[in-house]
Amino acid sequence: MCRASVLSGLSILLMCSAGPALAHAAEQGFVLLLPTQAYAIGGTMTVAASIVLVTCLPIDILERFFRPVTLPNTLALRGVAAGSSWIGTGVFLGLIWIGWAGPTDPQENLLPLTLWTVWWIALFVVQGLVMDIWRWVNPWTGPASLLSRRTPPLRLPAHWHAWPAVLIFLLFQCFILADIAPSDPPRLAAFAIGYWVFTLVGMSLCGADRWGRQVECFTVLFQLIGTLRPVHLWHRAKAGAPGWFSLSSGPLDSSHAVFCLVILASGSFDGLHETFWWLAKLGINPLEFPGRSAVIWPSTIGLIGANLALVVVFAFSVWIGVRALAVLGKSPPLPFGLAFNTFAISILPIALGYHFSHYLVSFMVQIQYMLIALGDPLGRGATLFGLADLRVTTGFLNTADTVKVIWLTQAFAVVFSHVLSVLMAHHMASKFCRSNKDMLLLQVGLSVLMISYTIFGLWLLAVPRGA
Amino acid sequence: MSNGKTQINRRTALKGLGAGTLAASGVLPGSLGFAQAQSSAPIKIGFQKHATGIGAAYGRWYDATTTAAVARINDMGGINGRPVEIVTEDDGTDPKRGAEVLEKFATQHNCDVAFGTLFSHVVIGSAPRAGELKLPYFVVSEGHHVASGMLNRYTLQPGITDVKSQVKSMAPFVGDNLGKKVTMIYPDFAFGHDHRDFFSEAIEAQGGEVVAKIAIPPTETSFTRYFPNIPRETEVVYHVMVGPGVLTFVKELGEFFGPSRPEIFGFIDSLEAVSINSPGLEFLEGTYFWEGNPRHAQANQTEFDKAYREAVGVDEMGASTADAKDVSTYAHMFGCWETLNIIKAGMESAHYQGPGDRAKLIEAVEAMTDMPESMDHPQGPKRFNGKTHQTFGVQYISKVENGKLVVQHTASIEDGMYEDEVDYTTQSF
Repeated sequence: MCRASVLSGLSILLMCSAGPALAHAAEQGFVLLLPTQAYAIGGTMTVAASIVLVTCLPIDILERFFRPVTLPNTLALRGVAAGSSWIGTGVFLGLIWIGWAGPTDPQENLLPLTLWTVWWIALFVVQGLVMDIWRWVNPWTGPASLLSRRTPPLRLPAHWHAWPAVLIFLLFQCFILADIAPSDPPRLAAFAIGYWVFTLVGMSLCGADRWGRQVECFTVLFQLIGTLRPVHLWHRAKAGAPGWFSLSSGPLDSSHAVFCLVILASGSFDGLHETFWWLAKLGINPLEFPGRSAVIWPSTIGLIGANLALVVVFAFSVWIGVRALAVLGKSPPLPFGLAFNTFAISILPIALGYHFSHYLVSFMVQIQYMLIALGDPLGRGATLFGLADLRVTTGFLNTADTVKVIWLTQAFAVVFSHVLSVLMAHHMASKFCRSNKDMLLLQVGLSVLMISYTIFGLWLLAVPRGA
Repeated sequence: MSNGKTQINRRTALKGLGAGTLAASGVLPGSLGFAQAQSSAPIKIGFQKHATGIGAAYGRWYDATTTAAVARINDMGGINGRPVEIVTEDDGTDPKRGAEVLEKFATQHNCDVAFGTLFSHVVIGSAPRAGELKLPYFVVSEGHHVASGMLNRYTLQPGITDVKSQVKSMAPFVGDNLGKKVTMIYPDFAFGHDHRDFFSEAIEAQGGEVVAKIAIPPTETSFTRYFPNIPRETEVVYHVMVGPGVLTFVKELGEFFGPSRPEIFGFIDSLEAVSINSPGLEFLEGTYFWEGNPRHAQANQTEFDKAYREAVGVDEMGASTADAKDVSTYAHMFGCWETLNIIKAGMESAHYQGPGDRAKLIEAVEAMTDMPESMDHPQGPKRFNGKTHQTFGVQYISKVENGKLVVQHTASIEDGMYEDEVDYTTQSF
């Protein structure tokens, strides 16, 4: 007798899934009524057209497109940011305390709400579009500046590059996707403070900069995503088309290149593992999803598999281009490693676009809980800032019109990010090729990958989800 | 988003709790304080909430109802002169987590009882742990698993009827008013099978028959190809489809039949928390639904329903008073309100003082029988069966008329009664 199953119906606003993904689209019923197939065809054609168009255009147009303009550099922010880190540290430790001593309901506790909704969802997007906010709120910079010595007692091997960060980021993704209760306040507090202490000790022993570049995965993540911002104020202040700074930071080393792929693969699997398709593969009825505890290992193995698969597919796509150029082109042969480490940068916009799309609905719901929790941080009946009188609504997920707007916004982010990726890849290819034909050859595999991934991304948005 | 003064959120509930505490300490005047209590320590009720997971939408409304019910109880002086405190833990709509949460209630939070669970698999996964912990576990799940005997003496469902009773009580109205030849369309898994089995038996008892049973795979998102299997002789289509495909199902069913259709009967579960006026649902005009509690306020609305809606912040269309598009889970969430009032009545009857009286509390609830429609039971009268730990109540059949669910028939308590399948009172504590 499984009455529960009925409740997994359309009626359910699937605020489910992972730690941060507390609110998923129950508007799936309305989405299924939208002509998503037509939209998907349109989006895919847009990406394909951008590939054709950019191949026909003179390369100097793209060069000009990505050329930044210099801004008046009047800001001396480095010292200010170091100071603000202390505030970040204080807020972080305060949140940890709230995690243990505050409300037991994760939707009333500021720790999971802040970490998953504000930090993981919103800060990620702000970092990639608006400003280097991580530099301001990084909870380690301040304390590490006190603890770090000029000559650290231990030295991280340089040849490790950022591989430790890749590994830790994967573990973090496992926590999000596969842990049984990543939003449980005390549990999250334990994980968060454990990682904070681990990082602080590491920075003390090995140097804050070195640890931040090689081991601390969020600093590596936000530095990579941050390169997409149009405006950069550090060093020399400049502004340009999104991704201009990413282009100037290539080629990456292999670890950072793989990190770019891991961001996208993990985000993609986060979407995939909720679909009817994935649950059917596991033999699970999506209408009576048995809970996260039943899929810990499938989620973990699937996440690792998705990452391996994307690295292999991407490498193969690059290899095809490199071989096509070598066999059919007239430009100098391009080493595979150099091509891999260069073109991986073009994955970053897609990763950001997927992140935005995937978490948009979650954010719209959870930020309401966040505001209410701010009005009563300890859950003791306070009514600060008049926020306690707010009421959470998910009415925008119950209405066809708003669901359509949300869906199209998500789809636009996916398509736009792919177009930007195409432009960036073409710009990078131009550095290795002497003709448009050679550029086409070098990107033949990547172009297929871009179009395929667009289809996949739009499919993810359109298919029913059940976990 | 602003909260009307009649609405109660967690903060006002907590303020109520605070006021109660003040009253207990003699600061506040009035007879509704907690002053008579031997202990002024709060009664702690662990609320196993679907805050995350596939039950989250229900969790949100169960939470709102629980908060409002506890605020009312505290305003009335609490339980046995003691304030009531809700301790909320997220079970993730996950049975394993559900069992862990019960353990936290018993060992970390020192809760007196646990309450609130909706999804059957969480109930089934948690109930054995409740038995081991000897923690009274009041569920609001509708599942037949309580009355079927598969759980234990510590698990009770006194505030909401079960699916077997609901389905059974529909058959007389369907057979007498809509037709005797029924085609059932249901999802092909346990939930759908329950409906198939319970209703087939019930309609046959009414002299009717199920002329076709059309099982739809759970992952299906397009349904047109199943409709030709509906026999021409069909007088009533009984549908219990759930999942993201429900809107598509209704739309395609409408396109298939066009203007001439048989009578259509469904369960509102399919469209719980979804406006009946949503695009694509036009075909539902003139069709019938089971409702646990009428979503739309009726012309003969009781004072209890009116006050209950006001307390939980729901308007006359069953939507949030803060956002008319935010439709509540009105057919089910009353169960939280009523269950909390039953816990209160049980504790008062048992003169409950602390965890040592848990067995007395269960015995007191088992002794309950008829519960009249009242502010404690705004959905309607109930009759609790202490042997099976399951309550029985009235059921509503509504027809969609001009986009509104209008009650056509109220099935009696007797219509939903069935033979006992267990006697939990024979189990020792």
